[in-house]
Amino acid sequence: MKIHVAGVGLTRFGELWNKSLEDLAMEAAGQAISDARIDKQKIGAIFVANMLSSKLYGQDHLGAVVTSALGINAAALRVEGACASGGLAVHMAVQSLLSGMYEHVLVVGVEKMTDVLPSLITTALSGAGSEDERRAGLTFPGLYALMARMHMQTYGTTREQMAAVAVKNHFHASLNDRAHFQFEISIEKVLTSPTISNPFTLFDASPISDGAAAVVLSSKPIKKGVVITGSAVATDTIGLDKRKNLTELTATTIAAKKAWKQSGVGVKNIDVMEVHDCFTIAEIMAMEDLGFCAKGEGGRFIESGQTRLGKKLPVNPSGGLKACGHPVGATGIKQIVEIVQQLRGVSGKRQVSGAKVGLTHNVGGTGATVVVHILQK
Amino acid sequence: MNSPVKNWREAKKLHIYPGKKGKIVTWTNVFVAPNGFEHEVPYKVAIVELLDGQRITAQVTDSDRDVEIGQKVIVVIRRIGKQNPDDVIEYGIKVKPL
Repeated sequence: MKIHVAGVGLTRFGELWNKSLEDLAMEAAGQAISDARIDKQKIGAIFVANMLSSKLYGQDHLGAVVTSALGINAAALRVEGACASGGLAVHMAVQSLLSGMYEHVLVVGVEKMTDVLPSLITTALSGAGSEDERRAGLTFPGLYALMARMHMQTYGTTREQMAAVAVKNHFHASLNDRAHFQFEISIEKVLTSPTISNPFTLFDASPISDGAAAVVLSSKPIKKGVVITGSAVATDTIGLDKRKNLTELTATTIAAKKAWKQSGVGVKNIDVMEVHDCFTIAEIMAMEDLGFCAKGEGGRFIESGQTRLGKKLPVNPSGGLKACGHPVGATGIKQIVEIVQQLRGVSGKRQVSGAKVGLTHNVGGTGATVVVHILQK
Repeated sequence: MNSPVKNWREAKKLHIYPGKKGKIVTWTNVFVAPNGFEHEVPYKVAIVELLDGQRITAQVTDSDRDVEIGQKVIVVIRRIGKQNPDDVIEYGIKVKPL
């Protein structure tokens, strides 16, 4: 597989009071189209990744929302897979190019979350889980907390190790002018912040953010650049209580295996990656499930410091979901944008020197959908 | 979403659970709640493995004590969340520490 990333675009992530969902989508899409140096009329199809606009704004039909704002008549549709919507939309776009039906497609991920009360967002996001979980009053922090407690009990993972994920990702975001939280925090700050869902405190969680990201993908190269060589999706039970093992996301292991096979690269080849750290435990489990360390060693692996920028294997150089922000539909595409910039060598203070092969890992719900992409220079 | 028909359909499945015993597999204490549960915070939610091996997700009720992994519990029927005055009251399963 060789899908060319012709252009990328990314808005600032954060509480963007003066920008609407459409403003954000257009800003990212416009950047991606001009970066690709392509006439927008040559775009054959548009994939819009979004989870919540129906629930929060009563706006459906996002494909046409984007084409009408762009002023084109291309095929367009919305892709939804909870927090994996962005990765899934890229996967769908890759399929459409591989089929030969289109030569150039645009993928836009967008989410506008900060206009409404937190209780409404919490309720809306719980749509990513099962009916039984909603009836039990579970929230997304609650669901990941259930896995975190199990991981602590089974492998001795500590609160300090989880906090180390947040501290590292805030450091990375402090170097990223697109990030929601451009400041550093300490382990103590994480441990002493208010409890949201035991054992998690506020700083274990990714924030509620506005933002958009976009990529133009092509089956033929417009210019020399980064290519997608692996695009894999796997699924698992929608509810946690139907799974035997609560300390791993099985869909991650399955998607990773498919992506390694498609791309012909493996764990040893990866120079930089963006993984789905919606909560600190999620990055720890991602390290294990993707195969970068042994099962149960994720906490110690992060704590050792080797996943920090400047060290052996930088993870989440953008700041991750935790500190760059998590506008749900945009997240999976932002991960691709970050890796493309790293491989192009234009990441400035966050540049991973000599990066040639990168990975993105995007999770929907509690791992009911996982998308893994491999990108190469 | 409160729908009388949905409540009726779901309630028909409940009778198999009351009185079943099991153990807590993992649990959390929720401090930030979704709509309809705000008045209950903080509340505990657990994944419980019943003696027949089935796992369920339920709130821990009738106890202010701390719970722990392995804690024995029994399934009970309780009101779920808080409905608007015009809505049908929703019932479901919760677990009570033994």
